[in-house]
Amino acid sequence: MERRREAVNFIPVVLLTAVGFASVYAARSSQISAGSLGYGLLFLGIFVAVHAILRIAAPHADPYLMPITGLLAAMGIMMIYRIDPSLAAAQATWLLVGVGLFTAIIIFLRNYRKLDDYIYLLGIIGILLLVVTIVAGTDLNGSGVRLWLKIGGIVIQPGEFSKVLITIFLAGYLHTKRELLSTTTWRFAGVPMPPLKHLGPLLTVWGVSFGMLLLMNDLGPSLLLFGIFLGMVYAATGRVTYPAIGVVLITAAGTFAYFTKAIVHLRVDLWLNPWTDATNKGYQLAQSLFAIGDGGLFGTGLGKGYLLAPNGNPIIPALHTDFIFSAIAEELGLVGASGLIILFLLLSYRGFKIAVDADDGFSKLLAAGISIGFALQTFFIIGGVMKLIPLTGITLPFVSYGGSSIVSNFASLALLVLISNRTNSQRARTAREARLAAPATAAAGRPS
Amino acid sequence: MNRSIRRLFLVTTALFAALLAMLAYQQMINAGALAENPHNTRKVYEQMHIDRGLILASDNSELAKNRKVGGFYYRTYPQGDLAPQVIGYNDINYGQTGLEHSENDYLTGTADEVELTNFFDNLLGRPQTGANIKTTINPKVQRTALSGLQKIGKSGAVVVLDVHTGAVLAMVSNPTYDLNDLDADWVQLNKAQSAPLLNRATEGLYTPGSSFKLITTAAALETGGFTPDEKIDNGNGTLDVNGNVVHNWKDFPGDYSFSEAFSESINTVFAQIGLKLGQQKLEEYQQKFGLYQKPPIDLPPGEVDTSGRYVNGALAAPGSDMNQVQVAWMAIGQEDLQVTPLQMALIAQAIGNGGVMMKPYLVDQVLDRNSTVIKQTQPSEWMRSIRPETATTMTGMMVDVVNNGTGFGARSSRVQIAGKTGTAEVGGGKGPTAWFVGFAPADNPQVAVAVVVSNADESGHDSSPIAHDVLLSALGY
Repeated sequence: MERRREAVNFIPVVLLTAVGFASVYAARSSQISAGSLGYGLLFLGIFVAVHAILRIAAPHADPYLMPITGLLAAMGIMMIYRIDPSLAAAQATWLLVGVGLFTAIIIFLRNYRKLDDYIYLLGIIGILLLVVTIVAGTDLNGSGVRLWLKIGGIVIQPGEFSKVLITIFLAGYLHTKRELLSTTTWRFAGVPMPPLKHLGPLLTVWGVSFGMLLLMNDLGPSLLLFGIFLGMVYAATGRVTYPAIGVVLITAAGTFAYFTKAIVHLRVDLWLNPWTDATNKGYQLAQSLFAIGDGGLFGTGLGKGYLLAPNGNPIIPALHTDFIFSAIAEELGLVGASGLIILFLLLSYRGFKIAVDADDGFSKLLAAGISIGFALQTFFIIGGVMKLIPLTGITLPFVSYGGSSIVSNFASLALLVLISNRTNSQRARTAREARLAAPATAAAGRPS
Repeated sequence: MNRSIRRLFLVTTALFAALLAMLAYQQMINAGALAENPHNTRKVYEQMHIDRGLILASDNSELAKNRKVGGFYYRTYPQGDLAPQVIGYNDINYGQTGLEHSENDYLTGTADEVELTNFFDNLLGRPQTGANIKTTINPKVQRTALSGLQKIGKSGAVVVLDVHTGAVLAMVSNPTYDLNDLDADWVQLNKAQSAPLLNRATEGLYTPGSSFKLITTAAALETGGFTPDEKIDNGNGTLDVNGNVVHNWKDFPGDYSFSEAFSESINTVFAQIGLKLGQQKLEEYQQKFGLYQKPPIDLPPGEVDTSGRYVNGALAAPGSDMNQVQVAWMAIGQEDLQVTPLQMALIAQAIGNGGVMMKPYLVDQVLDRNSTVIKQTQPSEWMRSIRPETATTMTGMMVDVVNNGTGFGARSSRVQIAGKTGTAEVGGGKGPTAWFVGFAPADNPQVAVAVVVSNADESGHDSSPIAHDVLLSALGY
């Protein structure tokens, strides 16, 4: 049932992808070769393969997740391909790696609830990855942020994987400790507080978030981690006090950072007024706004926007990663870019629904944590590039260029797929058992 | 847990609704402002394949023309340092300013009047050509004004207007720069303390000092019952307003006529007059002379500032709270008053034009490539500032300033110049701001001028000789 619906959902996705690649080709045929149309075929292949895998390995998984993320990834690679075809080839490779990991998780981690037994190990690995980045990280793009780790010839962004691991840790920890965290044993300035010793691991995550901010100069991932943390604590305990304290703490830390960290100060000042230094420090945000404004209602059309300077370089630095939404908003307009935002809303809707439907605490919290992560990350970067909030460098899930981002997001997605598959299989089994039991009574009641 | 998870989804929905709202705002409501932003280069890029129109001076010499490189048209400026802030730049990296920005629709041929020609050009496969802009700038007068400021090596501005039409004959902002070196010098031009990119004539806000007494005088003559010969008791030569003492540039004890007080620029007399007139009258006449409104000149609105009283960096609406001390200071052109040289030139123009202030303009004609006039600017009134007889009275008083008073530096044996000086203290260890605002010939006004010099010589007479040279140049001497 779910898989048939998924197959139907894939049809418009495949059509949109095909139309998208064809229009990029039509608009830029002088610069790019027809062979590149192969990306359309690649996507068709991935859609078919993923669908087939799910039919066998997770037949009851949510039927909307894959079409939504498939379309997001297609829009992303289409835009990357339009900006720089050679980057699209790399992104396609990463997409295949991501789908590979996705498949591996679906097949080998069917019983994902086993993860609950290893949460401390996973959490420690997550934090270690961050520590390694802080110690040995490199600043790839000269932004002053050391986010990347070079291993051999491959560059990875460990923060992306830490996010997934720490989410799993929090799901496991919070689901065992939620009762304890909901009780009040003491008060701090009149605020009811749970036993101090259970707060330890949570304070650790809080500390890690701010350590990232202060030591890595990195705003986006640290805020994201903190947001996921607060959301999951609230989901587990149902007490508004926690996010409220969190907001106070983050305001305090944010204020401190504003006055002590040049990069934070700069980002806030540029958010308030990008025009004072629009040719230098405010250049990226100013150009992003110009691109978005240029899109209007229907956009300039794929391949027809002013994304590249006469020398072929992107006008907006980091166009294919953090600023890909600006490119989409210019070429697809309000209609297309709203569509993208709504796709993300649908994705988080499916995620939260999977959390609500799940019947055990670990699954609920894991699904909720992953959904919060997708939603917040989307909000931070899209809000940042259109000056709704201060800009924090972070990728747009499934859309932006970046191997670590794509692969780790597919890992998160695989977990959602597994959770939904488990819930729906059990329901299907219960329904089947009910059906098997029902005819007897029905037959008994029917006059013969 | 389900309840809190559902609430988290509600929060997510709210965040995403904010994203959609902001997106709609940026793409539908703010899009126009973003497209017009001078830093936005996408329009410049798109229009680089258009054979952009020339910008010409009033003597038909070229101020801006094109150089074609590989299908793209690039701008060159044959008189690059003459009026860079007025002509503006059209640069792929830095956007557009000045006339290159405000006249872009004509220069690119996208304005309605030139659309038809382009339609046929497109049909015939010819490159799109823009219309030429003929400005009112007179290179000779412009050069005289610029070298006047360059000779004393000080920052400042000069605006020269045709008294009867409001045509801008010269608009100078010093320091200048060469438009052809924009790309090479960009960082330096931006960083420089002297701000050469700024059009001081329209964007520079200066304290008017005594030049503001033109407004106080007009108010006193029209509504205060004052006459030029009226004696005013100046006491011991200082004035105490609620414990604040107003001083003069030299001792003026005893009685002075209104006219003498004007030509010697006696602050204490004008402070008394100001107190007698009151805040409302003073502000009424500021508005009659166009303050608190952006002058309707054909430059990008973002490059034209509004004159008036500024409190904490924002224009204070007339009628805001002021105490007696502030009113007294306002009457002598201090008290947070900030005016642009263009505005002061307009005041002189209105007095020279029998009290009628004209709309200032820089574009005289728009011409197609066959030199056929597509659009001709018709001079038009901006506002009636004062009565003709007040203008005549004031002209007499302004002649006295030049012949017998503080404006001696502008005196000429060949033509009678009328004017008013101003020396505004700015503090901070800097020299005063020196003004000369006036017109000539006094008996048949043709040309009006405002000269301002920053960090001027302590005597405050830096401006008058420049005004003298500029007026004579404009009158063809």
